[in-house]
Order: sequence, then C-alpha cells, then structure tokens
Amino acid sequence: MRRILADTVAFGKQYIRSGVAMFFAFAFPILLILIFGAIFSGSGEMKLSLPVQNLDEGPYSQAYVQILENISVVDIEMIPTDQDIEDYIRNESLQNAILIPRDFSFEIGEYLVGNRSLMVNITLYSADPSSSTYATIQEVVYLSTVNLNYALAGATPVVGFTSTEPPGFDDLTFMDFFLPGVVGLVVMTNTLYTITSTCGEYKTRSYFKLLATTSLKKYEWLLSKFIFYTLLLFASLILTFAIGQAIFDMTSTLTPLAFVFIAAGGFLFLSMGMTVGIIVKDPESGAAVANAIGFPMMFLSGIFFDLETMPDYIQAISKAFPLTYFNDGLRDAMFGGNLESALFNLGIVVLIGLVFFVLASKLMSWKER
Amino acid sequence: MADNVVHVENLSKHYPPDIKAVDGVSFSIPSGVVFSLLGPNGAGKTTVVEILEGLRTPTSGTALIFGTDASKDYAKLRDRVGILPQNFEPFDMLKPSEAIEYWASLYDMRIAKKEVKELLESVGLYERRNSMSKKLSGGEKRKLGIALSLVNNPELLFLDEPTTGLDPKARRDLWKLIDGIRGRGTTVVLTTHYLDEAEKLADDVAIMHKGKIIVRGKPADLVSKYSKMTVVVLVGAGKEGLSEMMRRGIPATEENGDVLVPVSDPAEMRIVLAKLASIQLKVKDMYTRRQTLEDVFLNVVGAKMDEGVLGQ
Repeated sequence: MRRILADTVAFGKQYIRSGVAMFFAFAFPILLILIFGAIFSGSGEMKLSLPVQNLDEGPYSQAYVQILENISVVDIEMIPTDQDIEDYIRNESLQNAILIPRDFSFEIGEYLVGNRSLMVNITLYSADPSSSTYATIQEVVYLSTVNLNYALAGATPVVGFTSTEPPGFDDLTFMDFFLPGVVGLVVMTNTLYTITSTCGEYKTRSYFKLLATTSLKKYEWLLSKFIFYTLLLFASLILTFAIGQAIFDMTSTLTPLAFVFIAAGGFLFLSMGMTVGIIVKDPESGAAVANAIGFPMMFLSGIFFDLETMPDYIQAISKAFPLTYFNDGLRDAMFGGNLESALFNLGIVVLIGLVFFVLASKLMSWKER
Repeated sequence: MADNVVHVENLSKHYPPDIKAVDGVSFSIPSGVVFSLLGPNGAGKTTVVEILEGLRTPTSGTALIFGTDASKDYAKLRDRVGILPQNFEPFDMLKPSEAIEYWASLYDMRIAKKEVKELLESVGLYERRNSMSKKLSGGEKRKLGIALSLVNNPELLFLDEPTTGLDPKARRDLWKLIDGIRGRGTTVVLTTHYLDEAEKLADDVAIMHKGKIIVRGKPADLVSKYSKMTVVVLVGAGKEGLSEMMRRGIPATEENGDVLVPVSDPAEMRIVLAKLASIQLKVKDMYTRRQTLEDVFLNVVGAKMDEGVLGQ
C-alpha cells in the first residue's frame, strides 16, 4: 500500500506541476461550459433574421406578414419596395429573404370571387440552401402559407397540440444536457491523451526498466494511476458542476452514480491509453495515435451534436465508441432519470474498460525478453 | 566462488536470427572492488549487466549475485543491489529530495529527512535539493541517478555508462564520487566505453568485444602484459626523424608527425634517452608517455576505440 501511495503522490506531483495537464483537467471544461453556455443558455430567444419585401401592400399581404411576425423564431425586417430584391440581397449579404409579389391581394381577391384557376406564389430567396437556417426559414414560410390558406378557406383548427415535459425534466436547462458531455470529454482527454504520452515517455526514458528493479509491482503502478486520475476527475467534476449550477441554474445533481461513472470512465480511457501507449514507440507518436482515436469520439459521441440529427451510418459508428455509452449513462445518472439505462451503459463502460485493462496488462512488459 | 559477489558462468544471450549479443561470458567479482566491463558500443556490456539486474533473460548460462540466480530470483536481491541505468534521466517534475523519498518508498523504506540530506550531500546535490530535476545539468542528473541507486544502501552497485555524454569536469566529478563509493566498501560494476575511466577507477577490467571477454585483469597488469610499458615521444620529428631512427637500428613508429620510441624494459630507459640525445634531430619537444588501456585495446582488438565506436 505504501508503494501505491508513494507512486500516486509522485505521479500526481509531476502531473499537477505540468501546466498543460492542469489546463485540460480544470480550465478546459470551464472554458467549454462558459462558451457554450453563453451561446445556448442565454435568456434571450434565438431569432433568425427574415427580410421581407412586400410589393403588394394589400390586406392579404399585410395578414401574411402578420402571421410571420407572430412566429417567435424569426425577426421580420422589411425591405424597401423601391429596391430590386436580388440586388438588395447581394449588396446586404443576406442569407434569406421573402418576396411578396405585386397584386398578391388582388389575385387572392379574384380567387375568392370565383376565379379558381389563379394561384399566387411567394418567393423565398436563399444565398445558401444547404445551410441549417434555410431549413428553418423554409419551414416558417411553409407554415405561414398554410395558415393563410386555412384562414382564406374559413377553416377552424380541430387538432391542436400542447408542449410539456415529464416530471423531473421540466426545469432542465441546456447546460444540464451539455455538462455531462463536457465531463465525458474531460475524462477522455485527461486519461487517454496523457497516459498514452506517459507510457511512451516511460519507455523511451527506460523508466519501466528502472521501476522493474524496485519492489513496485506492475499492477501497483497501474492502480496508482487509476487512483490519481479518479481523484483528479472527481475534483474536476465537482468544480465544473459547481460553476454550471452557479452560472447556468442547472437542476441536475451530482448523484453517487455520477461519481461511479467518472471512476468507470477514467478506468476505461486509462486502460485504453495504456494499451496504445505500450504499443507506440515514443510520446510524440503516442499523442498522434491518441488524437486519431479521441477526435472522432469527441465529435461523434453526442457531446456537441445530437446524434439523432446525424445520418444513420454516423449513428451506427457512434455505437462503436465507448464515449457514447459514457455520455448517455452519465446524463441518466445526473438527471436521476432512467436508472436502468444508466446501469446498462455503466456495464458497457466497465466491460470495455476491463477488456483494455487485461490487454494493457498483457502487453506491458517492464523487462526485455 | 562463495566469496564472490557476482559469479557469471558461460553466459549467452542470442537474438534471432543469429545475433550473439553475449557469447559464453564467464567472470567473477570479489567483494569491495570496482569491476569494469569495458568495450565499444554493441560489445554486449549492457546486455550482461541487464541480465544481472534481472531485466533480461539469458539464453544460457548462469548469472549469480550473492549466490542467487539474478535472472530468476531478482526479487531476493533487490534490497542489496543499486542500479544506475544507461542514459539515466530523472523524473523532470520532481525535486531531488522528493525523488529520493519516492525511490526509498518503492523499496519499502522509510527515509528520514536527515538521511535524504546526507545522501544529497554525499553526491554534492544538497544545494540543488529544491530545483526541479529537469533544470539540473547533465552531470547533476547523473549524480541524482547515483543518489537514487544508493537509496537502499546497496552492497553491489551497477553503474552503466555513468559519464557518457558529460563534459570533462562533470566526468571528473563523477569519478570522485565513484571513488568515494568504493571507499565505503561497496562492490561496483562499472560499464564504460571510456578507457581512461576504467583505468582511473577500476581495480579489475574485462574488455568485451563482439559478445566475448577477450582480456581480463588489473589495468596495470594488462598494460604491462599487452603493451610496451613506456614510449618516448619526439614531438615534430617527422619522417626525417623516423628514418634517422631506422638508420641507427632504434625501433620507432611515426604518428601524426611525432616519432614514438617504445621502451619495453624500464632499465633501458637511460640508455635509450642517451642514444636519442646524441642524435641531432629537429624536435619541438620530447617527453615520455606510459602506455594505457587504449594501447592494450589496440593491441588486442587490432582497432582503436573512439567515443565508444570501434575504428580501424
């Protein structure tokens, strides 16, 4: 026990004295939640600008503009009628704009008095139809047009809907969803990235050989790393969570299961990093391989982007990443929601961790054959 | 054999397909001496030492320390052996005092602050006890390595190339330190490719070449046996000087513009000097030089060793 403690303390001192490592444990998650929190958790609603040129000025076009203005996600700005809309879009670098044509109200009036062959169109201009804002604007224009058509037909709504959240989810903020992902990222970067380089360094500097001449056992060295990283990640989690609660009114809590997840995640990525670190030749190639593994997981495990919005094949790939199970499970653990799902994900994390741990133990040899 | 700290018998280490890193090496080291394994890079020195340190498994043969098989039961020897590995680098972000406390813990030892101080003082690092190890000079890092290797008060100390890559002053400092360790009665196995280092420090030398020990003995005995004892150097005598020596039947060689006259029997030195004085030669200087292990190596291997590399 004394050897494990001594190795944990010595390793910890070296780690903490390395500024880069401390950045990834504490400053990095705080920066992430502050930046993303400021973007997505602000009190103001997110609104898309929607410039409209109304060349008609009749009652039906006024009614249409009114419908648009009642939709909360868009902010309507009127384009002067003496401007050519295409020049205006170009000169003002607009992303989207709507043109209500001249005689819009007249044509609708004609239709209403019986001229059924008429159909009047609103034109939606877009500088980039592949952008995500275009999809939203297109939906807004479509819904507004449908609403106007219903009104003109004299229809009254029969089916409506209400939006509500199940108990326990009613006060959740963006940060409640985002923070577990950040914690997952911190767990991965602090263990996978650093232990890979550490193993590379221990090999090139012959530290493993040196340690082999002492009474320290291989499993004791592995255990001391696990203890240190678990404590470090607990501290990081508590600090990150405290800032999330203080600034962004998070309602999820630090449950005991969340701490179990941190320990299990640390174990998993530590074992994975050791396996890679033992195979690579030096710290530099270790860092490169860790990046190659970590980067796809960072973006395809549901931390920054909702996996449900991604193509099926990406979703299938994400299922192969252990970080996905860690994130899903930690979210459940912190919301106090689906315990069964949390435990299932925990089981997968521990299982993958065990596989890599056994692999690392088998591959790691302090002596030469 | 019972009194020997180290006993190696017919030790071999082969790597596929047919590399014989160590090829049937045998030697014994009595207690309290500095034994040097000397040879160029790739001679097999470190392989022998790492088998003795329990870090490599021999292909065949025996490697005993205090009568225990080092390759099988090194755990039994751990507390009695200290090791400074080749190219030792300390842990960058630990201070020397912390590194010593850490290392002692890995040997299940409690080390008092006073003992840490004494150990650091003994290697001349006490003033640097609170500096981060990465800020130590090359020589100071090796001193820290030696301090770590002494943390368990070993009876046997392995120093693998302790001065490689150091400047002359740092090398001399370390020689003094190793001399002090010998003075404490510790048996030292010194691996080096510096002939002057072995000559200065070792009581007993084994010259290794291509995995075998080719010569073994005390440095002075080896010099006496394998080389002419003394050389008279006629600085700048050149080819003219050499032909003058030949004409008078005095054996001599030319090296870098100097003429070297070997004197095998010290009793003949006066006669040789008198002969040389009688010859009218243009020389810049004249001095006598005792031959060294370098000459032994040249005579035995047939090649020079320069910075650990064998040259023809």
